[in-house]
Amino acid sequence: MRVKIFRWKAIGPLLILLVIAGVLWWVFADTIARRESQKVGTQLLGAKVEIQRLHLDLAHGKVLIQGLTVASPHEALRNLLQADELVADVDLVPLTEKKLIINRIAANGLRFGTARQTDGRVAAKSGEGQGIAGRVLAETHQWASQFQVPVLQLATGKISFDSLDPRRLSTIPAADALGARADSSRRAWQLAVDTLRLGPTLDTARATLEKLRHARATDLATLNEARQAIERLKRARDRVTMLERNVTQGVSNLKSGLAGLDTARQRDYAFARGLLKLPSLDAPAVGAALFGPGAIRPFEQVLYYMQLARRYMPPGLLPRATTGPSRVRRAGENVRFPKERNLPGFLVRSAELSFQLQPNAEQPQRYAGRLSGLTSDPALYGRPTIATATGPQLGAGLMLNHLHDIPVDTAGASVGGVRFPAFQVPGVPLRLDPGAATTQLGFNLNGDTIHARFAIRSSSVHWTRDSGFANSTIGELIWRAVSGVSNLDVEARLSGALHKPGFAVRSNLDQAIGAQLRGVFGEQVAGAEKQMRDRVDAVVNDKVGPVRARVTEVQKQAQAQVAQQRARLEEVQNQLEQRLRELTRIRLP
Amino acid sequence: MFALIKLIQSLFGALHSEGTPGQLAAGIVLGSFLGLTPLVNVHNAVIFAALVLLNVSFAGGVLGWALLIPFGFLLDPLFDWIGHDLLLAPSLRGLWTSLYNMPIVPLTNFNNTIVLGSFVFAVLFALPLFFATRLGVTRYRATIGERVRQSKWYRAVTASKAYNVYKMFRP
Repeated sequence: MRVKIFRWKAIGPLLILLVIAGVLWWVFADTIARRESQKVGTQLLGAKVEIQRLHLDLAHGKVLIQGLTVASPHEALRNLLQADELVADVDLVPLTEKKLIINRIAANGLRFGTARQTDGRVAAKSGEGQGIAGRVLAETHQWASQFQVPVLQLATGKISFDSLDPRRLSTIPAADALGARADSSRRAWQLAVDTLRLGPTLDTARATLEKLRHARATDLATLNEARQAIERLKRARDRVTMLERNVTQGVSNLKSGLAGLDTARQRDYAFARGLLKLPSLDAPAVGAALFGPGAIRPFEQVLYYMQLARRYMPPGLLPRATTGPSRVRRAGENVRFPKERNLPGFLVRSAELSFQLQPNAEQPQRYAGRLSGLTSDPALYGRPTIATATGPQLGAGLMLNHLHDIPVDTAGASVGGVRFPAFQVPGVPLRLDPGAATTQLGFNLNGDTIHARFAIRSSSVHWTRDSGFANSTIGELIWRAVSGVSNLDVEARLSGALHKPGFAVRSNLDQAIGAQLRGVFGEQVAGAEKQMRDRVDAVVNDKVGPVRARVTEVQKQAQAQVAQQRARLEEVQNQLEQRLRELTRIRLP
Repeated sequence: MFALIKLIQSLFGALHSEGTPGQLAAGIVLGSFLGLTPLVNVHNAVIFAALVLLNVSFAGGVLGWALLIPFGFLLDPLFDWIGHDLLLAPSLRGLWTSLYNMPIVPLTNFNNTIVLGSFVFAVLFALPLFFATRLGVTRYRATIGERVRQSKWYRAVTASKAYNVYKMFRP
């Protein structure tokens, strides 16, 4: 019997299944697209992306998104942006190649930095190394942590001491090591003295001397014996000279060791000073301590987005692996294969943005922005990504140039008249309300070299102090220094290799606060430093004193031994030589 | 529990169906693609259509799918490795680049290491699985098959409603 290959009767159910699938797609396409967009957006950015409504109008190639909220990857209860409505014109044909080409996006009602009810961070909470966003976030956080400047500990006007752990002082192990070296040298030198074996040489020489005393000038054998004894004594003296050189060298080393103890003690003084939590009172250090921790944050955030852009928009046309879609099974990696003269995987040709910077203000200002060439394959698109925004007291620009092997990313913004929230000045219980300030940011990342500047200027700052600050002398001084100042001018600069750039912060308050602090705090600093030095001395002297005495004793002992041996040899040699001269002198009748 | 009963029903239903050992083995092989590779992919729609349209054991397909799902999860690291090696092999770069820039083909997610690795594994595994299953079914039917068919518990299993549903799709 011939077996049929096709099951013709199954075509009907299969077609019905296809129709059902089509109907389900028609009904649920918007929901599926919305959820997928949220999922992909969240994965890409490392923060929750929420969409209230998404409508696909494939017949006209339009996608409508309403109520878009993108949480901040850095701040728990803050949004990066919200948008009332986004309308995208999508090119349909490239979708068959799984390529998303958006010819134009119109975004209305964009708002930045709005508050949210729940923590929207994803990468920050998922631990280090979760996905690309998680890895980049961890890297930038690690990068920013290198700029932890010592915070002023002047809030109470008291200098706090951390306990001094003797195990962390370097003088004590140095003293132990020197004591051991002294003992070792003493043993070595004693052994060297013993191995000289001067006793037999001296005994023989003395016996020869005795014979020589009773000998006559014609007693040639005794004279020769005496000459040989003198030679032996000379050789013994050479050995003693060599030992003396060793001892001199060793003594010199031990003296260096003693000097090293003094150096180690200076190091311990410096270490102990660090325990005092004393800030440097120089103006630049005061500026860094006051505003450094806050000033590094904008750099960290901009760097995060630029590094993300570098990962998602790499230069060149080589295959690139990125994390695959999240699913129950392992995600694996998606490898992209860009090809010359083909469309990139993702491209936004142009976007027109309309936004507000302070939506809650009495008269919210509207701003306009434009974005072009946002693509996953810059080498295929052939032009850099450019974004600009303009408006009243606003100028901002961004260029991501990933066309060549070394990517160059530049961003700059100047925003005026924007009210920033009041913030706590680190280490000092003062709150600073910058009022309506002008903020400038310049950021250039050329390959692995960074040059960045952040500045904030305001002429209407308002200072408030915490109640716990009232009884503090130092607090009073700082308060006096800043309370009358209504201008604020802070500038932070980063420059150099990305992995370790130079970081400098200056403000118009540095000089004033530094001078006030030096005036009163200088004496307290000196007193505290002396107290800390005394503590170090108390711990160190118990150990260093005996070692110093032991070293001195070893030196003296070794030098005395060598001198004594030399003297013994010289005495016998001199006597022998004198007697020999007496016997061999020619006496004329 | 229901899934387990269904699986047992599928197993014995398939073993004692009127289909030939070859039809059952072909069904299991097609089902193995569904089990070994990530399910929601275009190639699995084709596999499913083949399972429905071709005169192979549908129950065998369900059985192969159910049996190989755990192996799919277990072997994901191996699939990842295979897929990674294939996708990043310099000698194959031209092929992948062409496929990636063709219409429709990228929708298969072939550029995912797990999808490609598991698919290649399933293809390589298909022939041994087919011959081994066909031999196993032939031996089973020739040896203990009739005794199992006469047993009380077999009758109990096949008497359930789920079996009736299965019968609609038997070869």
